[in-house]
Amino acid sequence: MNYQIKGSRVTACILLALSCLVCFVAAKSFTSMWVEERVYPVEEFQQKKLSDYFSGIKGTPADQPVFIQKGEEEGGTVLLLCGTHPNEPASNLTGVLFLENAKVERGRLIVIPTANIMGFSHNGPQEGHPQGYFIELADGSKRRFPYGNRLSNPIYQWPNPDIYIHPSSGQNLSGKEKSNLNRCYPGRPDGSITEKMAYAIVELIRKEKVDLAFDLHEASPEYPVVNAIVAHERSMELAAMVTMEIEAMGIPIRLEPSPKNLHGLSHREWGDFTDTMPILMETGNPSQGRLRGRTNEDLVVTGKDKCYSRAFDLGKLYIPYDGDQPLSLRVARHTNAVMLFMENLEFINEEKGLTVEGIPDFEEIVKKGVGHFLAASN
Amino acid sequence: MTLIYRGIVLFVLALVIRCIFREKDFWKQATGALVVIPLILRVLMLK
Amino acid sequence: MGHGWAVKIMEWFWPEGFYTIAMLATFAIGAFSFRLPIAIAMSIAAITGALLSGSGIPLRHLVEGAFGYLDTILIIATAMIFMKTVQKIGLLEAIAAWVIRKFRNVPLLLSLGIMVLIMIPGMITGSSTAAVLTTGALVAPVLIKLGVPAVKTAAVIAMGAIYGMIAPPINIPAMIIGGGIDMPYVGFGLPLLVCTVPLAIFSALLLVYPHFKSRGNDEKALEEELKRMETTRLSFRLFLPIFVLGILMTGERVFPEFWPSLGMPLDFLIASLCGLFSGSSWNPLNAATEAIDDALPVMGILMGVGMFIQVMTLIGVRGFVVVSALALPAWLLYVGIATSMPLFGAVSAFGSASVLGVPFLLALLGRNEIMVGSALSLIAGLGDLMPPTALAGIFAAQVVGEKNYFKVLKHCLIPGAVTALWGIAVILGANYIASMLPY
Repeated sequence: MNYQIKGSRVTACILLALSCLVCFVAAKSFTSMWVEERVYPVEEFQQKKLSDYFSGIKGTPADQPVFIQKGEEEGGTVLLLCGTHPNEPASNLTGVLFLENAKVERGRLIVIPTANIMGFSHNGPQEGHPQGYFIELADGSKRRFPYGNRLSNPIYQWPNPDIYIHPSSGQNLSGKEKSNLNRCYPGRPDGSITEKMAYAIVELIRKEKVDLAFDLHEASPEYPVVNAIVAHERSMELAAMVTMEIEAMGIPIRLEPSPKNLHGLSHREWGDFTDTMPILMETGNPSQGRLRGRTNEDLVVTGKDKCYSRAFDLGKLYIPYDGDQPLSLRVARHTNAVMLFMENLEFINEEKGLTVEGIPDFEEIVKKGVGHFLAASN
Repeated sequence: MTLIYRGIVLFVLALVIRCIFREKDFWKQATGALVVIPLILRVLMLK
Repeated sequence: MGHGWAVKIMEWFWPEGFYTIAMLATFAIGAFSFRLPIAIAMSIAAITGALLSGSGIPLRHLVEGAFGYLDTILIIATAMIFMKTVQKIGLLEAIAAWVIRKFRNVPLLLSLGIMVLIMIPGMITGSSTAAVLTTGALVAPVLIKLGVPAVKTAAVIAMGAIYGMIAPPINIPAMIIGGGIDMPYVGFGLPLLVCTVPLAIFSALLLVYPHFKSRGNDEKALEEELKRMETTRLSFRLFLPIFVLGILMTGERVFPEFWPSLGMPLDFLIASLCGLFSGSSWNPLNAATEAIDDALPVMGILMGVGMFIQVMTLIGVRGFVVVSALALPAWLLYVGIATSMPLFGAVSAFGSASVLGVPFLLALLGRNEIMVGSALSLIAGLGDLMPPTALAGIFAAQVVGEKNYFKVLKHCLIPGAVTALWGIAVILGANYIASMLPY
């Protein structure tokens, strides 16, 4: 069979018009993600901007809200950085859970829910990810959350070099990592927009004298560093205490030292360039893994996947996987660990303790679902 | 640099469109029409 | 007992295995029965997969998938403009003529020299198609004149183009594979030479050398061809584009601290502009249009592949394929690598590197990752021989005027199999080889 059709100026015009139509429809879908995530913090939180700490990002897409709550009693300061990689939803959701429930009684809690805000406005090519997902709330209604990409949106930073040379260490990375917030620390005041954002976060840690700083993540279930705490030397003692408590609860977790020669990551550079104790945590997220099957909102929320079940049977995974890995479980893991860290902080330095009330415990989140503790969107 | 690269995309886009108009085979024109889509969206910085 | 086993297989197969077959079948029918361009057949296959899975026609996903190769098509487009430039100013022909004259009486060196010539554009651009359509097209008449049968000429061009694509400095499959496990594309130079140089020598000796040795070819016709090719004299001005490109590319790698990072597309365009000062008369706009016209099928295929992979990921076919491959028992893993990666190359070598290369690298953790990544990229490169896309093979057949690609493929079988075996050998000996390399 031969279905050759003659081409002419007319067919060229028709085809190009069609291309434009496709562009229009696709662009409408892409631009629908260009909205900031709405959160409903408890009123005790005071809202600031990241640009308050480094004016170089004022008026740029890197600027974003920072929420601070101060307790009655003096104590330590804790930073909860969530949403570094917007395709790791348990991170952002843990931040939202704290914002909408936390009552700080002692010390100060700083929450940044959408750390790489420039990654929330797009999806990665060839990942087939949804643009958002829905969580069922206590009243049975559904609330939408954004699902983005690990890297900053190219509309804000493009092109990247073939090779990214990490400025302060000279380490070579694949070029696209220049758009990865967690490869850009300690950042540069005159660098790319992602490097400037990293710089602003490090400035916040310095200016607010943050004692304990979390960077929450998720990882593929087949990646060795998953269900893990990664700690800088300075945070190791505290992390070891918390790890033992988590294990005593029957929750499997690994403790890994931050590699000294792996640069640009929060658990290394926050520790080396500021006085804080950095902690990075990972839960297992099937929706970002390479072995995942059908990719949709359901996978994001339930973590149910037949390919991962098979891979677990084959011994290829680094998490216990019993057919699913719900988002609520992953948020519960993060929340529980963060709370234990804060409770133990005063054993490292008596004056720097932190007391936060109103946060549900591990069992509650797993049983009722994280949506039970989130505000209704209006 | 972003502006220079948008310029390069525009240049390639213009050449592809020129090729589409010179092409005598419909399906090859269609191939060109496929390539045009991401180029347009990137020139306009919509994706 | 046997029954339960069958149920298990069916549970695993349905529906993703069915989608896989449906997508591949749609593609094959489109490309072969309807003779549609590969790019179009690929997009239709992607849409079919989406429709079958109940996802409708997900325009957003289709366009998003294509974006995965935006940077790559810019490189291919500008590299093609560069190659057209050096072709139009007469540089390519002049160099080829010089090589033949110099080495005609040393067949061994000539075989190897021609192999290097075929490889160079692939090494610079990371695209086997670029190699086939430029120096490949150029050496084809020479090889035939020198007595090599047309199908073997096509075979050696295809193999050389693939080795060129895999050889450093630019190897896109290796970048794709490394990117999947946060491994920077650094320190790949020597490992990739280990992967490619022995094979390039082997293929040249197997396919070309015997014909050179048994002379008896038409000396007069060859002399005429050489005279025609030498109409442009070799001069510094003529070399300017290559010279500038060399400086721009090495500068960025050697002095990254203060050299501006221009990126390959800009490098190629600046170097092409230097062709304006070569002294030859040529029409830059027409040359650029011609370049894009040549590159368009490949650019289109990448768009199609992008859509195809996005839909595969969306509907679960990707996970099905990857986990099926990982499910192979250990001793079969290597057989799996050597067969599934080239076979998946029917979609594209880049797709194979991305979809299978990364999980295989993860399955092989513990061996020197750069060596394993290099070897996997080599095996993925073989995908460019695999019909229907066969980016290297089909263009090579075109270049020598052979209509039936399978005749060419027949001559690629031995070097192809040796390539796969060599890739596996490099994986098995990864740590040993890495320890032998000077760093």
